[in-house]
Amino acid sequence: MSGRKETVLDLAKFVDKGVQVKLTGGRLVTGTLKGYDQLLNLVLDEAVEFLRDPEDPLKTTDQTRRLGLIVCRGTAVMLVSPTDGTDEISNPFVQPDGA
Amino acid sequence: MATGAGLETLVDQTISVITNDGRNIVGILKGFDQATNIILDESHERVYSTKEGVQQLVLGLYIIRGDNISIVGELDEDLDASLDLSKLRAHPLKPVIH
Amino acid sequence: MLPLSLLKSAQGHPMLVELKNGETYNGHLVNCDTWMNIHLREVICTSKDGDRFWRMPECYVRGNTIKYLRVPDEVIDKVQEETKSRSDRRPPGVGRGRGRGGREEGSKPKGVGRGLEDGGGRGAGAARGRGGVGGRAAGNRGGGRGR
Repeated sequence: MSGRKETVLDLAKFVDKGVQVKLTGGRLVTGTLKGYDQLLNLVLDEAVEFLRDPEDPLKTTDQTRRLGLIVCRGTAVMLVSPTDGTDEISNPFVQPDGA
Repeated sequence: MATGAGLETLVDQTISVITNDGRNIVGILKGFDQATNIILDESHERVYSTKEGVQQLVLGLYIIRGDNISIVGELDEDLDASLDLSKLRAHPLKPVIH
Repeated sequence: MLPLSLLKSAQGHPMLVELKNGETYNGHLVNCDTWMNIHLREVICTSKDGDRFWRMPECYVRGNTIKYLRVPDEVIDKVQEETKSRSDRRPPGVGRGRGRGGREEGSKPKGVGRGLEDGGGRGAGAARGRGGVGGRAAGNRGGGRGR
C-alpha cells in the first residue's frame, strides 16, 4: 500500500496564485498559495478570512479579517479552488422546470 | 469472508436508505464497498410531511458515501406497491446529531 | 460494481456533488482517487440554502466531505462495458486474478480478482431511455429545497 499518489489536483499550478480554501467547521480563507505538501497542508500568504454570520456559523459574510501568513492544516481542508475566475453569480439554474 | 453486513445479497434489489441528514432514498443497489459507499440506480427520494402526501423526487444514479448512511434496508416491493404514498403523512426525520 | 469504479468511469461527465455541509457543486469530473477526492472543472457552487451561487473554473474536493454524488444514468452502462471487456480479456484458466487489473482502484484487490463486477451479463446495448443527469440535476437544484 505504498505508491499513494495524491495527483488528483496538481497544486503546483496554483503556487503564487490566489486560492480559496474552505475548512471543515465552516471557515473560508483566501490567500496566495506559497507552499503545500502531499497531506494538503497549505501555506497561504496575505491570507484573508471571511467572517461568518454569528447566527449561523456555516454562512460566510462579506466581512473579512486579515490573517497574514498562515498554514492551513491539511486534515481540515475541505475544498481548494483558484480565486481567479471565481465569482458570485445569480441563479444560473432555470427555475420553471416543474421539479 | 463477509464484507459489509451482507449487502452482497441485496445487489440488484430495491433498497431503502436512510441518510444521516434524515433523507429516505429508494433505489436499486448496484454496488458497494468496504466503506459502505453504495451505488443506487433509478433512485428517488421520498419526502415525508405531515401536511401532504409523500413526495417522490427522481434522483437517478447516485453514489452515497458510507459516512452519510444510517440505515440500509431491503424493500418489500409488493408491500411497497400496496401503499398509497399520496395518503401517507409522516414527520420528516431529523438529521443525525454527531 | 464498486462505487469508486463508477466514479472513475464518470470522468469527463457532468455531476452533482453534495458536501456534508449542504453545499452542492455542479461540474465536470476531471479526476478522482481512491479516497474519493475529486477534481471538478467548470463548477457552479450552490450554498446550503440554495440562495447564493458561485461559478469557479475548477475545484478540488476532499473525499471525506462528500455526502453523495449524482452521476448521469448512462455512466453505469459504461462501467458494465468496461468491466465486461476487462473480464473478456482474462484468459479462461486464470480464475484467481492476483491483483492485476492495472486501474488505480485495483489497489483494492477485492472485486477485481473475484470477477465481482461482471454485473450479471446485462447486454451492452441495454437502453436506459432516460435523459442525462446534467440538465435534470441542474433543474432540480436551483429551487433550493432548503435542506
